[in-house]
Amino acid sequence: MAFAKAIAEGSVLFPWIETIHVLAVVAVVGTISIVDLRLIGLNAHVKSVRRLMIQLLPITWTAFAIALPSGFLLFSSKAVTYAANWPFRIKMLLLLVAGLNMMLFHLIVHRGGHRWDEGKTPLMAKVAGLTSLALWIGIVACGRWIGFTIN
Amino acid sequence: MHQFSEWLSGTPLSNQIRSLEWIIPAVQVVHILSIGIVISSALLVDLRVLGVLRDDAPIAGYVRRYLPWLGVALLALLASGATLIIGEPNRTLGNSVFWTKMVLVGLGTVLTAVFALPVLGNASYWDSGGRRLLARMLSTLSLLIWVAAVVCGRWIAYVI
Repeated sequence: MAFAKAIAEGSVLFPWIETIHVLAVVAVVGTISIVDLRLIGLNAHVKSVRRLMIQLLPITWTAFAIALPSGFLLFSSKAVTYAANWPFRIKMLLLLVAGLNMMLFHLIVHRGGHRWDEGKTPLMAKVAGLTSLALWIGIVACGRWIGFTIN
Repeated sequence: MHQFSEWLSGTPLSNQIRSLEWIIPAVQVVHILSIGIVISSALLVDLRVLGVLRDDAPIAGYVRRYLPWLGVALLALLASGATLIIGEPNRTLGNSVFWTKMVLVGLGTVLTAVFALPVLGNASYWDSGGRRLLARMLSTLSLLIWVAAVVCGRWIAYVI
């Protein structure tokens, strides 16, 4: 495809798309971490978990809406090579799991999250927060590893 | 500077950092995660100051909450960054983009301090009408500087 070729062969497009991808990812992971840390027990600027999510999720989604297409563009520049790259494969798997974890969590919070606003968050929520954090750290690590294993 | 880089490359510590393949990538991951905290904290405070994030919680509350995290993240960045420099002196100290990044990081730190410190002593410091505009300029400028630092960080790899 023409755009894929342009990214692969030019010397400026790839670095800039990659830079935008990194900035977007950093915003995604940062905002998700704030919610996760709140779940684990570290207070954010707002005590209520639900209010925190209502505030931060639009930012997370906006950043993700930039991370996803920029990631796709990077992938497209050398699709076959990336598809065969193990860190890339693991990263995609972890993204899927992280997404599922988030969906599951949304459902749980929607049903009874308001009960956590003042008291201690239940163990399940803490586990969800820890899992999410671990997954996203793994995603960032895989992302970095791709750079070291791609030729 | 070139001589210093050469000398640094030869030290036992520098060699040790490069001895195992995974050390530098792992330290870079710590660096990236810490950047996540800095960018997100700066973004949240800025969005609050600009009024995009509407909240009952006062600006001072945001600053007091995120400043410690920002501080810890900056320390982690300093430690991981120092490790990366010692591990690969020529790649960093010999690179103009790296030095641009250092200037930006210094600037970002100063601006963040100028914005955050008054609020610690006086919670409503930025709330008065006259200072509101200055607050918005300071917080937005520091966010942009942090973003520019990140861009430079990525471009170190592309500019020799």
